[in-house]
Amino acid sequence: MGKETPAEKSLNLIRGRLCDPSYVFRPLSASSDSNYSKLKFIVSTSITEGCNNSMLLLGPRGSGKAAVLDLVVGDLLEQFPDSVSVIRLNGLLHSDDNCAFKEIARQLCMEHHLLFSKMASFDDNSQFIIAMLRACGLAHKTIIFVLDEFDMFAQGKQRLLYSLLDAMQSVTSQAVVVGISSRLDADQLLEKRVRSRFSHRKFLFLPPSREELDGLFVHLLSLPADSGFPSGYVSRFNDKIKNLTSDTRFKDILKTLFNANTTVNSFLKFIFCAVSLMNLESGLLSLENFKAALSSMQRQPKLEAVRDCSVLELYLLVCMRRLEVKEQSSYNFISVMKEYKAIHDSFHTSDYYAQNVCLRAFEHLRERQVICYAENRGQSQTGEYRLQKLLISASELHQGMRSHACCPAILLKLLDH
Amino acid sequence: MPPKEESSKVTRRSTRSSASVTVENSEPTESHTPTIDDLTFGEESITIDAVLSNFPGRRSQIFDFIRLMGPLDCPTLPIMIYGGASTGKTSVVLQVLRHLNRPFVYSSCRTCYNPRILFESILNQLLLHRKCSLNGYSSAKRCDKPSDFVNLLREALSSVIKTLESTSGTSRSDKPDEKPMGKMVYLILDNVDLIRDWDKGTIILQFLFSLYTVLKMPQLGIILISGLPPDVYYSNMGYTDPIPLYFPEYSEEDLRQIFLRNQPNRKLYSAFLDVVLKPFCRVTRRVEELSTTFSLLFRKFCEPLDDLGISPNEDMKRRLYSHLKPLIAHCLNEIFRVSSHPHDGETRGERRQKASYSSENREELEILDFHMSTSAKFLLLSAFLASRNPATLDASMFDSTGGMDNRKRKRKASEKSMEKKEIAEQEAVMKGPGSFPLERLLAIFQCIASVGDSSFGEEDEEEENTTGYDKENNNLMSDILLQVSSLCDANFLIKSGSCPLEGSIRYRSMVSEDLAQKVAKSLSFPLSKYLYRR
Repeated sequence: MGKETPAEKSLNLIRGRLCDPSYVFRPLSASSDSNYSKLKFIVSTSITEGCNNSMLLLGPRGSGKAAVLDLVVGDLLEQFPDSVSVIRLNGLLHSDDNCAFKEIARQLCMEHHLLFSKMASFDDNSQFIIAMLRACGLAHKTIIFVLDEFDMFAQGKQRLLYSLLDAMQSVTSQAVVVGISSRLDADQLLEKRVRSRFSHRKFLFLPPSREELDGLFVHLLSLPADSGFPSGYVSRFNDKIKNLTSDTRFKDILKTLFNANTTVNSFLKFIFCAVSLMNLESGLLSLENFKAALSSMQRQPKLEAVRDCSVLELYLLVCMRRLEVKEQSSYNFISVMKEYKAIHDSFHTSDYYAQNVCLRAFEHLRERQVICYAENRGQSQTGEYRLQKLLISASELHQGMRSHACCPAILLKLLDH
Repeated sequence: MPPKEESSKVTRRSTRSSASVTVENSEPTESHTPTIDDLTFGEESITIDAVLSNFPGRRSQIFDFIRLMGPLDCPTLPIMIYGGASTGKTSVVLQVLRHLNRPFVYSSCRTCYNPRILFESILNQLLLHRKCSLNGYSSAKRCDKPSDFVNLLREALSSVIKTLESTSGTSRSDKPDEKPMGKMVYLILDNVDLIRDWDKGTIILQFLFSLYTVLKMPQLGIILISGLPPDVYYSNMGYTDPIPLYFPEYSEEDLRQIFLRNQPNRKLYSAFLDVVLKPFCRVTRRVEELSTTFSLLFRKFCEPLDDLGISPNEDMKRRLYSHLKPLIAHCLNEIFRVSSHPHDGETRGERRQKASYSSENREELEILDFHMSTSAKFLLLSAFLASRNPATLDASMFDSTGGMDNRKRKRKASEKSMEKKEIAEQEAVMKGPGSFPLERLLAIFQCIASVGDSSFGEEDEEEENTTGYDKENNNLMSDILLQVSSLCDANFLIKSGSCPLEGSIRYRSMVSEDLAQKVAKSLSFPLSKYLYRR
């Protein structure tokens, strides 16, 4: 139970920062033409002038849309303490209209300390919501509706969207509807009547530039000079970080990472993996941590699956590949067994096993998703007669077999031949 | 084998009057209400060395996992652990949490087979609610939608975290050496890959992957255990994927260490492993499949030894190897078969020759190990023949002489017909067994049954229904239709698509040739005479 070592304390601090989106996105939103400032300007003017508004935040997953919106909402709640209330909905959870209305009513009740009845029907809920909107409008209180996964709300009949946007137009209300979506064409999904009531304001969240990401890296990993760390440790740690950022090998690692995915979230995951590998005795980060983190993030699951196969399973995969090469595009277990027998007859391999053993090995391959049934409708046949297909390409199979621990040489020869 | 005492407990049929009387001897009242301590593993904590020695070959994965969990009260992003079957994922996670002594909630998507049961199981554990007779075995809260689950989970987690924070302040006087529980709760979901087959499974998966961002509670750590790699979960919607941790299959060295654990005589067992491990690893490297075969083989290996405690020297090893070697090839082909004859201690004492062992197994292979009525067996054979033979040959096959005339002249086949034959064979292989209407099945059945009946009548005089087939045809027909439906239930026959012109149902036989041969042998029916071979 003792005290934490400085290494553990710094680890806790950094990991806490990485798991907190508002800490991460605040420096990225500092400039004046960032999405944060624009969004804040629009929403605050809607609040002060008492008008309705609707907007969409679009961008790839992990670019911080919800985080920036949370920052804006947090600031506005501080700025206008009594005139703002927030209702949050998520498309994954509340895409059903009944669910959505119940959730809105529940959140409204919680905000205004009213009793919420779970038995209220859909009509009761919708009347309650409209009444609340009118009451809040008269009291000059703005309700901000945050609709996460906006494209999920746009499936089906879009009743919720229509009623919200319609209520904003007809009732004396002050509401701001903010939709967040990772589909860049989310506004094209809206129906005609919904789209006409929607003001087409869109904020595009693009991935940050390289300099911004470098700045973010230093910001996240620098330890503060105060707050109970031994001072020599803090300066050593921060110096190590500065050395790393100027190291060319580290820059190469970052370049490989950003070639795949430039969103902020994947960068955060990368730093998280590296930081968890930190050596707890020295308490300092090193280049090896980052290299290991990169390799753990960029995995090749199909290669791993091939490397996990036993020798018999590799034989079956090679037989299937040979059947494909012979332009037999559809094959089942029986034809694979024929090929297997043909290979055994011509090369006299030592690995010739009975049919039930091979069938079981085939099942193992299917469980690992290296092969699968070619079509779903063949339910009327036993597993041996259903058509199969390979889910890995020839080059993956090749690479997997070359890095396999005990692959027999004859298999590689058969694959190339 | 169940002990004899259990048969004395007779279950009474409950009548209406007895059901209305309340049962007096109820089970003892549940005295244990769960507390916050029950969220930890519960048993004594173990050191890291014990964990490492319990799982040979998993050293790097255990250390990676501990590092990802981080020190006490460290927030963590969601983690996904993936690997093949029986690679130790669940047990490593649970043992590491036992070592770290942190509170967790465990739910498997195999036992909780739909979203409602999954959500309610998690909530029950968090709300420290145990299902017992007092509350009618019901859950604490009813929850079947993800939206309700998020709200209830948030409430339950906040109350748990409040309790944890209050207990962490006070020092625990009764267990001073134990590690503190910390203020974080971990949610472990096992067998996440099974959710793909659920109704609306993709939505539930999407929801689980984004649960961490939706809840926004840093005191919750989410660990997902999956049998499939993360790339099978990619869908149109995309998600921020969890941090992966891979458990590869065991290598041969690891398997050797695993099997050597808990063996009373390690030298003898390692000599045994020297000879069996390599060939069997070529077929499969899964621990559960190898262990059943090895236990059987080890018994055979130790047969020549009188004393199982000795450590063998070189020529004793050679003797044991030569005793075992012929069995290895045989067992390799039987590796996935679980024998229906229990191997108890009686066979071990007797000295069996190698030849007798193999012949015993061959007999085992050829007899049918389940019971079927005679008419069902004949139906099975008729279905098999109907699926394998083309319909046009029925007249010549099943004529009054009973059987194909093999003595017709064999003309030398031209090349074109050989090619045609190969293509036809290829197609037959691809399509599998053919389908047939019910009338054809019954026609073949009547032919075969009369043939079989005559051969039966010669052998067994006391068969009751030797004369039944001829005389009581009408009664027999309804029996036969019943038999057809019971064969369908047993999956020996399946209903395939019906022909649109005729409208009648077509059946397809699902038995393999081995099973058909076994059934024919039990009836002494010459199956090969009736089978059309191209």
